[in-house]
Amino acid sequence: MEYLGTFFSAFKDQMIEKIKIGNIGEEISEAIVPNQVFSFQLGSVHLVVTDAIIATWVVMAGILLLALLFGHNPKRMPTGQRQLISETLIMLLMKLCRSSNLSYEQSEEVVPYVGTIAIFISLTNLSAMIGIPPPAKNPAFPIALAFFTLVYIIGMSIRFVGLKGFWHSLLYPKAMLLPFKILDYLIKPISLSLRLFGNIFGSFILMEFIYLIMPAILPGVVGLWFDLADGILQGIIFTYLTVTYIGEVIEGAHMAHLAHEEGHPA
Amino acid sequence: MDKGMIGLGAALAIGMAALGASISIGIATAKATESAARQPEIAGKIQAMLMTSIVFIEATAIYALVVSLLLVFAF
Repeated sequence: MEYLGTFFSAFKDQMIEKIKIGNIGEEISEAIVPNQVFSFQLGSVHLVVTDAIIATWVVMAGILLLALLFGHNPKRMPTGQRQLISETLIMLLMKLCRSSNLSYEQSEEVVPYVGTIAIFISLTNLSAMIGIPPPAKNPAFPIALAFFTLVYIIGMSIRFVGLKGFWHSLLYPKAMLLPFKILDYLIKPISLSLRLFGNIFGSFILMEFIYLIMPAILPGVVGLWFDLADGILQGIIFTYLTVTYIGEVIEGAHMAHLAHEEGHPA
Repeated sequence: MDKGMIGLGAALAIGMAALGASISIGIATAKATESAARQPEIAGKIQAMLMTSIVFIEATAIYALVVSLLLVFAF
């Protein structure tokens, strides 16, 4: 009995020692710093290669292999499962584009970029499943993606509706709202990148915390949502928002055109 | 700076944002379900709209999460 009492008091002391917030904070602070794998000197620039860079390049190679596997030797009448899988994926994306005001030809132009972005973000987020911290937990990764996506949104909108149509879409409901519309284009990349970064960083810290306090069964159960489902969902949401933003511009230009025709009958 | 006050501030930031975001997602979902039950033929379109609005509502909570994480880890 006495032995049991000392055992429990020691156990309690050890647990309190372990759960102390300062300790866990330090361990999590260590976990969120990017892991430097190796670094080299290129001319006058000191380049640091972190695990995030390696993860993204591995995923890029994986996407290239997948594209070769699924897109190789297409037939008019699909015979194998490979082509059916890729066609289903593309039809899904086409349906998404069609549902946000893009025509069939416009969807065909948009699908390659947004599909690549969706697969890229989903696969990089899934790297948390095999113990590599997801690259999106460094703010640089989502910010770069969001910047390229903003340039793509503006470029594709101008290509679809013309420079004049783009200007009309900025003026669409009321010309008075122009400053807010311009502000909206500044906020779009911040919102896109912070959404991805916040979700992935938050779930990464939560998973680290769960690994620290209960490494046995809980991470496997909670990780199903935070590592698997949330990672794929973020890729889909990024794609969805890209397509929605392009669709918004097209709809605005169209409505402005209609209003213009009503105001000045030919 | 006082570490306890920083923790309290971070908890308040994420807590208030989660309160607002969850209430608004609840309202949006309730209305979407109602209208889908009224007009089942456009349920797919309503679901797409609901997804868009939930993503935008959720963004505010995510901003608060980033702010509170910055409070905890940057100070």
